[in-house]
Amino acid sequence: MSRLARVHFKYEDHMGLNKAFCCILTGICLVMLAGARVGFPAANASSDPFQRERNRMVREQIQGRGVDDPATLNAMRRVPRHLYVPVSQRRFAYQDRPLPIGYGQTISQPFMVAYMTQIINPRPDHRVLEIGTGSGYQAAILAEIIDGVYTIEIVSELGQQARRKLEAQYDNVHVKIADGYHGWEEHAPFDAIVVTAASEYIPPPLIRQLREGGRMIIPVGSPYQMQQLMLVEKKEGGDITTRSLMPVRFVPFERAE
Amino acid sequence: MEMPSGNASTRLIFSLGLHSAAIIAFQLALMQLLSIVQWHHFAYMIISVAMLGFGASGTLLALARERLLRHSEWLIPLLMTLSGLFIMVAFHITRMEIFRFDVYLLFVEQTQFPVLAANYLIYFIPFFTGALAIGLLFIKYARQIGTHYFSNLLGSGVGGVVVLLALGLLHPSHLPPLIGLLPVAAGLLSMPPQRRSLHLFAAGTALAVMVLLIGRPGHIPMSEYKDLARAMNLPDASVVHSKPAVHGFTQVVASPALRFAPALSLSFTGEVPVKKQVYVNGDFFGVIPTYQPGQTSHILDYTSQALPWAIGTPQRLLLLNAAEGAPVSHALTHNPAVLDAVIEHPGVIGLLQEEFAAVSGNLFLHEKVNLHAVQPRNFLAARATADYDLISMPQQEAFGGSVGINALEENYGMTLEAFQLMWSRLASDGMIAVSSWMDYPSRSSLKLLSTLVMTLESQGITSPEKHIAAVRSWGTITFVLKKSVITPQETAAIRQFCHEMFFDPVLLPDIRPEERQQYNSLEDTALFTYIDRIMASDKDFLDEYGFMIHPATDSKPYFGQFLKLSNFRQLSQVFGQEQIPFLELGYLIVVVTLVQSSILALLFIVLPLLKLRRGHRGKGGTLLYFAALGIGYMFVEIILIQRFVLYFGQPVFAISAVISTMLIASGCGSLWSEKLPARPRFPAGIALLVTLGLLAYTFFLTPFLKFSIASPVALKIFLGLLLIGIPSFFKGMLFPLGIRYLSDYDPGQIPWAWGINGSLSVISTSLAMLIAVEHGFQAVMGLGVLCYALAAASFASHRTFFRRAG
Repeated sequence: MSRLARVHFKYEDHMGLNKAFCCILTGICLVMLAGARVGFPAANASSDPFQRERNRMVREQIQGRGVDDPATLNAMRRVPRHLYVPVSQRRFAYQDRPLPIGYGQTISQPFMVAYMTQIINPRPDHRVLEIGTGSGYQAAILAEIIDGVYTIEIVSELGQQARRKLEAQYDNVHVKIADGYHGWEEHAPFDAIVVTAASEYIPPPLIRQLREGGRMIIPVGSPYQMQQLMLVEKKEGGDITTRSLMPVRFVPFERAE
Repeated sequence: MEMPSGNASTRLIFSLGLHSAAIIAFQLALMQLLSIVQWHHFAYMIISVAMLGFGASGTLLALARERLLRHSEWLIPLLMTLSGLFIMVAFHITRMEIFRFDVYLLFVEQTQFPVLAANYLIYFIPFFTGALAIGLLFIKYARQIGTHYFSNLLGSGVGGVVVLLALGLLHPSHLPPLIGLLPVAAGLLSMPPQRRSLHLFAAGTALAVMVLLIGRPGHIPMSEYKDLARAMNLPDASVVHSKPAVHGFTQVVASPALRFAPALSLSFTGEVPVKKQVYVNGDFFGVIPTYQPGQTSHILDYTSQALPWAIGTPQRLLLLNAAEGAPVSHALTHNPAVLDAVIEHPGVIGLLQEEFAAVSGNLFLHEKVNLHAVQPRNFLAARATADYDLISMPQQEAFGGSVGINALEENYGMTLEAFQLMWSRLASDGMIAVSSWMDYPSRSSLKLLSTLVMTLESQGITSPEKHIAAVRSWGTITFVLKKSVITPQETAAIRQFCHEMFFDPVLLPDIRPEERQQYNSLEDTALFTYIDRIMASDKDFLDEYGFMIHPATDSKPYFGQFLKLSNFRQLSQVFGQEQIPFLELGYLIVVVTLVQSSILALLFIVLPLLKLRRGHRGKGGTLLYFAALGIGYMFVEIILIQRFVLYFGQPVFAISAVISTMLIASGCGSLWSEKLPARPRFPAGIALLVTLGLLAYTFFLTPFLKFSIASPVALKIFLGLLLIGIPSFFKGMLFPLGIRYLSDYDPGQIPWAWGINGSLSVISTSLAMLIAVEHGFQAVMGLGVLCYALAAASFASHRTFFRRAG
C-alpha cells in the first residue's frame, strides 16, 4: 500500500469528508510529501480536526518531557491516534494516559510510545520486531520511520483488527497472529525489538533474534502504571546488559542536605 | 408490645433463625463471588455499603414505626420473602451488561461511577429488606428480645459455618439461589395461615427461579484485567480443572503459551517450559510443577532465587509458603536430605496429590517431601526443628508491583517476630533466603532488608554486612541472611554466580560500589543509598522515607502495606494524584470504604433524630450505649480472629470457629438475659464485667496463647472455646438488656438503637483495620475495652444519660 493510500485512509474512513474533497487533499499531500520521508504539510494539519490536538499532544506531553528525536516527533504528529482506540474512547485519544482497548489490553500513553520509539534509535534501514501489536498504534509510529516493521499479536481478535488497519495504511508493516515468545525467526536478526506488554521473563528466542549491538525495550509495570522501562542491550561478544529507565523521573525522597 | 401465641412464637423464632442464617451466608458467598469478579478489597467495599441496609432499616423503622407495626403480621413474612428473592437474583442482575463495572477502569472512565452506584443499590436491597424484617420483629416483641436475639445470633453462627462448607462443595454462582430459599421458607413459616395462599405462590416462584439459576452452568464473568481472564485470551487456552474451595475457587488453565520463568537470567538459552497455571478466585496462584525423578537442573536455577545454592549445599530445607510447589521441585533437584514444605492452601496440596499427581511427576508424593498444611508461622512456633540449613520464603511483591492489593493481608510469616523464630530454627551455618520483585519507588526490597537488619540487631549482632548477602537480577532481588559470618569463599562463589547469570551483587561483606551495576544498571541509583542507610541501622531513614518500610510486627502484621497516610499529600504531589491508586490501592480502598460507610451511617443515625427530637429524652444514653456495643463487639471479634488465626494456623478454620463461637455464645447469653430484670444496674454491671475481662485479655491473652501454641489440637480447641465463649456469653446479654430497658423507658427509641448498632457494626470493621495498620492491634483492643467501659458508664450513670422520658 502506498503512502497515498495511507493518507487517503485517514480522510475517507474517519473524517467523514466527501470523496472528491479527499482526493484533492490527497493529491496535494502526495505532491508535498514526494521525496520526503518526514515532515507533513501545513495544509493537511489545518484540515484535520484532530491535528491541533495531536500537535498539542506532541508539544506538551512528549517534547515537554524531553523526547527530541525529529523522526519520532514527526511520526507522532502524523499518525491519527484516535483511529487506534475504540470508538467509545476516541474523545480521550490525545489525553496524557493509556486507554483500554479490550481483552485486558491498553494502548500506551502517547509519551510512552514516543519514548520507546526514540530509545531504540530507529533508522529507516532498520528492521524492528514488535511483540504485542495491540491496537497497532506503536507499529504505525514505527512504520512512519522504518522500512521493515514486524509485529506479532497473541490475541487473535486484536491482531485481526490491527492487521486490517495497518495493512490498509502501510506496506512496510507485517502482522502475525502468534505467540510472541518465538519471535519471527525468518526475518531475524532485528536491529531492535519493542515489547509493548510487560512480561515476567524475556523469551530466550527474542534475545537470539536481536542483532549484536541491538536494543530491546520492555515496559515494567501494570497497564495503567508504566513508569518504568527496561532497555536490554546485546553487546558485541554476547554479553547482555539491562538498564532500568525512568521516562518520568521522580526523585521523591532524597533528603535536602 | 405484643406476645405471640405458643405455636406462632416457635414458628417466628425458627423463621428468624433461618432468615438470619441466610443473611450471613449471602454476605460470605457474595464476598467470594465478588472476589472472583473483581478483587477482594472491592468485594469488601461493596458489601460494607450494602450491609448498611441494617442502619437504613433502623431509620425507616424509627420514622414509620407505628405504621409498620400495624401491618407487621404480614409485612415481616413479606420482607423475608422479598429478601430471599433479591438474594437469589442480585448477583445475576449485576452481571447484566448494563450493570457490569470494572474496578480497573474506575480511575480512567467516569462512566463507571454510576454503574458502581447501581451495584451498591442492587446489593443493598436484600440486606435492607432482610434487616427490616429482623428489626420489625425485635421491636414488635421487644420484651422477648432475649429469645429472638438468641435465634438471630444462633442462625447467623450456623449460617456462617454452613456456607463455608458449601463454598467447598458448590460452584459459587449456585450459592445465592440456594441461600435465597431460606428467607422464602422463613416467610412462609411465619405467615399467618389465612394469608398463606399468596405466599405459597411467592414460594413457588422462588423455587422456579432457583431451579432456573442453578440449572445454568456455573459461570462468573470477570474483569478482563484479572489474571485468569487474560490467560483465557491466549491461543487454545482452556480451563482443564476447576474446584470450589473455601480458600477460593480454584481453576487450572492450560495453553501452549503459558510459561513460567520469573525474572529469568538473560544468560539462559534453553526452552522456557510450558506449564499449566493455577488460579484462585481468578488471581494467579502458581504453576503445576513438572518434576522428573533424577532431575538435576531447574529453570529457577537461572533466577536470583538460586542464591542459597550458589553459597552452599544446604541439606535440611524448610520451604515456607511454598505456594503451588515450584520451589519444592526446584529444591528437590538439589537432592536435600530433608525437605519440609509448608503450604497453607490445602486445595493445592490436593491438586498435586490427586488430579495432577502424574503431571507433576508425583512431586507431592515424593518420599523426601514432608508436606505441612498449616500457616508458616504456626509451623515455626509449634513444629519446626532447630537445625535447618536453609529456610526459604516465596517471592514477595508481584511483577510490576502489586498496587498494594495485599496491603491489608495479615501475614504473620513476614513479621519481625517470624524472622526471629526462623533464626532460632537455623543450624549454626544456616541461611534464611527471601526474594522480591523490584518495585519502583522501592518499597518491598527495603522493607525486607530492614526486617533482616533488625532481626540481626535483636540477636545482638551489630555488623549486618557480615551476615547479609544480596544479588539483583533485571527484575528481582534476593537476600540471604546467614547465621554465621559469610566467608571469602562464599563471597567468591556469589560473584561467580552473578557473572554467569548476568546478575549484580548488591550486598557482600566486601562489596565495591562499581560492581553493583555491572550487568543491570539503574537510571535512579537512589536504591543503593537507601540500602546502605538501612545497613547502617539508620533509624531516621526508616522514619523519613516516603513509604512504610519499618518491619512488620505481630501487632501490625501488614508486610504488604507501604502507604503512609500522613505522607499522602506529598505522594500526590510527586507522582500525581491519578497514579496513587496504582501505587497503593489496597489500603486506600479501606479508607474509601470507611469514609463512605461513615457518611451513610451518620445519615442513618441523624435522620431518625429529626423524628425523635420532640417528646423523647435520653437519646444521648441510647446513642452512647448502642454505638459502644456496635463498635466494641466488632473490635473484639477482629482481635480474637487475629489472635486465633495465629494460634490455630488455619485461617479459615480459625475465622469460622471464632465467629461461630462468638455468635452462639452471645446467643446463649441473650437467652439467659431474659431471666434478669431490665434494670440499669444489670447492663451496667455486665458491661463492667466484660470491660474487666477484656482488659485482662489485653495483657494476658497473647502470652497465654504463645505458651500453649504447641499443645495438642483437642486441648487448643477446648481452650479456644473457653477463651472466646466466656466473654461472648456476657457480651450477648448487653444488647437485649438494653432493648428491654428501652421498651420500658421509651419504646420509640428501639428502632433507632437497632439502626445505630447495625450502622456502627459495619463501619467498625474498616475502622478497626485502619487503626490496626496505623497503631497496631493493641490499640484496637484498647478501644474495644473502652467501648465496653462507655457502655457500662452509660447505664451506671443512667440518671445523666437516660433522663425521664417526657
